[in-house]
Amino acid sequence: MNDNRCISIIGLSSLESLGMRFALRESWNGRIETFSSFEEFIPFAEKMDAFIVSSDIYACNIDFFLPRKQKTLLISRVAVNRDHPSGYNIISNNWDLAEIKGTLDRLISILENSEEPKGELSAREIDVLRLIAAGKLNKEIADTLCISVNTVITHRKNLSSKLGIKSASGLSLYAMMNGII
Amino acid sequence: MALYNRDSKLSEAIMAHPNLIPVVNRLGIRLGVGDGTICSVCDCCNIDADFFLSVINTFLDEEYFPSDAAGTFSLEKTVDYLQKTNNYYLKVQLPNIDRHFGSLVERSGSDNNLHLLRKFYQDMRSQLTECLSYDEDILFPALTGGSADSVEFNSGYSEVEEKLHDLLFFFVEHLKGEYDLNLCTAVVTAVFSLEKDVCQNNRIRNRILRPLVESLRQS
Repeated sequence: MNDNRCISIIGLSSLESLGMRFALRESWNGRIETFSSFEEFIPFAEKMDAFIVSSDIYACNIDFFLPRKQKTLLISRVAVNRDHPSGYNIISNNWDLAEIKGTLDRLISILENSEEPKGELSAREIDVLRLIAAGKLNKEIADTLCISVNTVITHRKNLSSKLGIKSASGLSLYAMMNGII
Repeated sequence: MALYNRDSKLSEAIMAHPNLIPVVNRLGIRLGVGDGTICSVCDCCNIDADFFLSVINTFLDEEYFPSDAAGTFSLEKTVDYLQKTNNYYLKVQLPNIDRHFGSLVERSGSDNNLHLLRKFYQDMRSQLTECLSYDEDILFPALTGGSADSVEFNSGYSEVEEKLHDLLFFFVEHLKGEYDLNLCTAVVTAVFSLEKDVCQNNRIRNRILRPLVESLRQS
């Protein structure tokens, strides 16, 4: 069922990539592509369905990964509590194999249950969401992002429509739960 | 077109829409209504059947607009109904959610995001309580005291509606971790009931109370 989809591994060491491929193969029969850097990956980005990425490359390219957060898995080389509240899909190298497998299975499950990338937020919508969560008014958001108030209102409508959330405080809670702020 | 009329059986209306029970209670009718029509039951209880019908039809039907509310109903009756509604939120529904939400958080450990949902609920609750206080302290006394000209309706109820919707949505789509299943169902069911009630009573506020006040202002 998932033969045509592709999981990309970006910026991991050869040994980490090898281990990740080995772990994925137990439950994933689609394609897996490995890229040593973000620059090498970016020409193929649109053809990729999920992203397993080192936390440093994630941090340097947050505009790309944040809108694709649900299908991105961060590999952290520093210890991370399994119950971290950030809402990121994350694996830390202090976790045991069962925890790593469980997280990979959740990513694969998201991929298998997803249709089109509908509902994903654009980078600009995420900018607006961050400012809403900071309590900014439409005019302040417009000034900060150098766009018109009407454009801000359009972004707010799109956010509500994509996320199914109506109130500003609901949008703030969503941003908090999903590590956007 | 109205869902129910003077000749509809009240017991059938309640059986088809059990969420009418608190509404008919607020209007002065208790369960054990017998098999009479709405008109006959209202007559027995000394209740204005037209007002009763307008309230339950507006409550049940999003499309229904009572005809000539201003010419049919008294401001006192409408305010009395809404005061009882507000009281029901404060004395029954909100404490019920508080109690269940408290137990849910206590018994569900910390491996979940319930504390964030509870904070969101508490913010919504504060805003709803502010709206209710405004009604009780400013709006209702002004309307029944003959100074309708100088008072504004509180616009906070529509935000409360949005937040109740969002709270339910967060439970349904974003709840994470381990939690007590039965208590969670109790909280969601109680919030769902409050959301429905707030939306339905906002319709009564907008379609019955507002036209009444507008007509008073013009006269």
